[in-house]
Amino acid sequence: MDPDAVAKAFVDHYYSTFDSNRAGLANLYQDGSMLTFEGQKILGSQNIVAKLVGLPFQQCQHNITTVDCQPSGAGGVLVFVSGTLQLAGEQHALKFSQMFHLMPTAQGSFYVLNDIFRLNYT
Amino acid sequence: MDPDTVAKAFVEHYYRTFDANRAGLANLYQEGSMLTFEGQKIQGSQNIVAKLTSLPFQQCQHNITTVDCQPSGAGGMLVFVSGTLQLAGEQHALKFSQMFHLMPTPQGSFYVLNDIFRLNYA
Repeated sequence: MDPDAVAKAFVDHYYSTFDSNRAGLANLYQDGSMLTFEGQKILGSQNIVAKLVGLPFQQCQHNITTVDCQPSGAGGVLVFVSGTLQLAGEQHALKFSQMFHLMPTAQGSFYVLNDIFRLNYT
Repeated sequence: MDPDTVAKAFVEHYYRTFDANRAGLANLYQEGSMLTFEGQKIQGSQNIVAKLTSLPFQQCQHNITTVDCQPSGAGGMLVFVSGTLQLAGEQHALKFSQMFHLMPTPQGSFYVLNDIFRLNYA
């Protein structure tokens, strides 16, 4: 497994799903998954997707600037992303950083065990 | 121990050491530790400390804005930091984000297995 290839494929899939169909993120998380979104802690796929689907905007577009990754030990991959988030109707894009800890599934794919998201305010 | 307490203590120790004596960071990394610094990948405590002590400034001060943490599985802890970095003599502080994956040592402390650092450009 090449961590860089896994990270790139995951990032492409994650943000294109987020931007087109947030509910479709559900199968990227499991019961034990954790999201910290702007300091708010959320546990489990259902609650995580409820949070993301409930964010106060209809449409958004992520533009990714940097992707860094490293193996985390125990077969996991850490992915560190920075980019911008354009909300429909807003004049200026928001800047954000996000980290994911991906763990392998039995089917040979990856799911998100840890997810931390922060806006980068100027 | 409470993960938030561990994360807070680690962050304070790490950046205080960085700002006072970068060479002193050596005992926070081990041979298998990985640093990705602005996209450059470095492995092992010696190489990591060589990179950090050779950064092109004498003095700096980190000011931490946010610290988020989550357990990573297998006893590890993920810490996600954002803040500013003021270099001596520079008019404007730089913004940065950094993630650490801490693993427990037999002595009951933690070392940095994974470290990813990115400046957040305006």
